[in-house]
Amino acid sequence: MLVGRQPSMNLSNIILYEADYQRLKSILTMTQRDLPAELVLLIDRSGQQIAFEGSARDIDMTSLASLAAANIAATDGLARLVGEPEFSILYHQGKRRSIHISDVARRFSLVVVYDDSVSLGMVRLRVKRATVYLEEVFRGFTRRTETVGFAPRPAPETASPVYFTDDDIDKLFSFLKPGS
Amino acid sequence: MTFINYVAREINCKIVYYGPGLGGKTTNLQHLYDITSAENKGKLISLATETERTLFFDFLPIDLGQIRGLRTRFHLYTVPGQVFYDASRKLILRGVDGVVFVADSQEERLDANLESLSNLAQNLKDHGFDLAKIPYVLQLNKRDLPNATPVEQLQRMLLVKGEPVFEAVATNGTGVLETLKGIARQVLVELRKSA
Repeated sequence: MLVGRQPSMNLSNIILYEADYQRLKSILTMTQRDLPAELVLLIDRSGQQIAFEGSARDIDMTSLASLAAANIAATDGLARLVGEPEFSILYHQGKRRSIHISDVARRFSLVVVYDDSVSLGMVRLRVKRATVYLEEVFRGFTRRTETVGFAPRPAPETASPVYFTDDDIDKLFSFLKPGS
Repeated sequence: MTFINYVAREINCKIVYYGPGLGGKTTNLQHLYDITSAENKGKLISLATETERTLFFDFLPIDLGQIRGLRTRFHLYTVPGQVFYDASRKLILRGVDGVVFVADSQEERLDANLESLSNLAQNLKDHGFDLAKIPYVLQLNKRDLPNATPVEQLQRMLLVKGEPVFEAVATNGTGVLETLKGIARQVLVELRKSA
């Protein structure tokens, strides 16, 4: 998926404009505020986080996205084993915090982290509403992709930050500790 | 699936370390974790059994630095190498951008390498990927052991498409970073082609 101001081709044939991103974000904001949830996180099925809303700063969101995607994938496998097409909702109840994970358009997942002041019924209600809105956004840019096909390739070095040289790649790996 | 977020100015890629059981996949990630500065790495997550065998996967997010103003983040995963965890292995390949095959150089693991390589090709195919086309490097690990098969012989048996080959001793870090650089380069070049 690409999120950008300019339409671009991407590897999985979905184009997402910044306006789409803002729409996704506003849906997450609404859901987070209405519950209220500590965190509402939208991820794709490979474990990449797309957008989030919430103030749960103590949660490592990269790890959460990765583990949630693995959890979903494993649960999909379990569903198939028992002859179900899917288990569309995952729910983990804790003493203080709980996690609700649900499918969005068979390609994305919505992860909601909330505390014990919020009821599961309310979470399900808000998530259901959010899912309808999110799927509408995703349908929009899927349709657009089908209509326009791949966007023309932008001129190198002017339009797309994805254009980079071998030298740019060589300059990476600044992450090492000194002396490594 | 590479995820390029122009709003957050980030490139996110998924790399999977594949290979036979006890071949050194987790050790690769542990070494990378050790040599990476704190601000450029996330937590190393290991879903392992009580005997430290990978049960589901290991996960390490690393920030490689900036490329044309975009933060380049690589999500590194390992798969469980043991044969009977195939269902888990397949799940981890979902949305993969590049694969490192960690081969065990020991003579008695030749068949295990071949079996794992064949399993990789099949599992990629099930996800709609072609091993011949996806960014891919071969790491020959455990080069320090006395029963290591000669490199030329391993290459004859394991090379898929003339991919880059890295000799490694993951336990002391030899070749680990070079392997990551090798796959990162391929993934980014592929991304440039498709963007």
